[in-house]
Amino acid sequence: MNCQRIQGHFLDYQENLLTEGDTAAVQSHLKTCLVCQREWAGLQETLLKLERLPTVPPSPQLRLRFEAMLEEEEESLSARSPFVLARSWLDSVLAALLPSRPIWQGSLALLLLTCGLLVGFYWIPRNAPTATLTDATVREEISQLKAKVDSMAQLVAFSALQQQSGNQRLRHVVASLDVSQADERTLSELLTTLAFDPSANVRLCALEALFPHAHRDAVRAGILAALPGERSPLVQVAMIDFVAAARDQAAGPALEELSRSQTIDQAVREAAHRALVQL
Amino acid sequence: MIATISDSTPVSRFERSTVNSSTVDASEPSDHELMLAVRAGKIARLGDLFERHHGALFGFFLRLTQQRALSEDLVQWVFYRILKYRHTYRDEGKFSAWIYHLARKVAADHYRKRALPTVDSENGDFADLLTDQSPGPSENAAYNDDVALMQQAMAQLPLDQREILVLHRFQNLQHAEIAQLLDCKEGAVKVRAHRALVALRDLYFKLRRGRLA
Repeated sequence: MNCQRIQGHFLDYQENLLTEGDTAAVQSHLKTCLVCQREWAGLQETLLKLERLPTVPPSPQLRLRFEAMLEEEEESLSARSPFVLARSWLDSVLAALLPSRPIWQGSLALLLLTCGLLVGFYWIPRNAPTATLTDATVREEISQLKAKVDSMAQLVAFSALQQQSGNQRLRHVVASLDVSQADERTLSELLTTLAFDPSANVRLCALEALFPHAHRDAVRAGILAALPGERSPLVQVAMIDFVAAARDQAAGPALEELSRSQTIDQAVREAAHRALVQL
Repeated sequence: MIATISDSTPVSRFERSTVNSSTVDASEPSDHELMLAVRAGKIARLGDLFERHHGALFGFFLRLTQQRALSEDLVQWVFYRILKYRHTYRDEGKFSAWIYHLARKVAADHYRKRALPTVDSENGDFADLLTDQSPGPSENAAYNDDVALMQQAMAQLPLDQREILVLHRFQNLQHAEIAQLLDCKEGAVKVRAHRALVALRDLYFKLRRGRLA
């Protein structure tokens, strides 16, 4: 054995924990190696001094303090509520059942995870066909629900708009004038305003905001749908001019009906007649 | 001197040891049985465990901190934690391992709060107790000198090395028990104990040379 290995055995040698062969090897090495002799002597002396350090007893105060603590705990234990006692019992049961060492805790967690994955793996595919069968129904229900939500949102938006004053509604519509790339929602709001807003000025403004989008079928259809219900001659004339300018052939029957109607304003009839000529 | 020491037959510290508070009569309940009773709610049995272990625990803390009052506080804390966490005691666990596990946690908490893991042997009150422990009047001065130097060397050791030496040399814990306590292998404990002893020896001889110079 070399010196490093011998010195590594010193503590076991000192405690008589080496085998007979290793003990003999250490002893024979110590007889010939001065370096290891010095090392061994130094350690022996250190251990001797270390173990001569005195043993000091604690003061009697420690026992008194412990007894006071124990007494206090006994008192609080006897005064505990059933809830606390039940919890203490539950803690004891869990402590007795669950593993204490981290390696066993980790193993248990891994086992539970594996069980969960296996259950999920075997259980979910068995239920998958049921899900496929109901897929079309579910999708239909979802689309119906979406449509309801959309119409609800539209209604809510319009109701909110109606809560505002005329000026505020007008400002809202004017803001839409600047939107050159209006989305479906904005156009829908403008058409709703045109059909239902009580103020003729606001309806006129909405019509103006819709003008840049006259090429869209949805916009023209919306205006034609609002035309029969319109009561203000001013707005009626503007709507007729709109469809005439947009060259909307679909507006023909509605314009003919307006041009023949005797109940509406003369200016509206003339405008309808003029538009029919343009178309 | 070298020849004398190298020829001497090594004596196990377990054979020399006279202080082992956990030694009990076979007719008396074991530590484990007492602790199971405490866990079951008979907390008065903790008094028996206190009688068996408070001295050894006090020695452990005293050699770690070198402060008597603090060591008594820490012993009190250990028994408080035994009471508080008694339901976490396991059937398969060995009581001595568990109590030292709690003791190490208490010591670690103390050092964390203080943020000062070193010991100042000059300010420690352990040295004041040495005079009463000396072997005789004629050897008093030399003995006290040696003990004070060793005490100082211990105080200068890093905390982890001091701890392993105390567990190994004074608390009579086997290498396997220390390995379980420190969560490492038995071989690693032996290596660390040897390194700690070598470090202590170097410190001790350095201090002694400084004293002689």
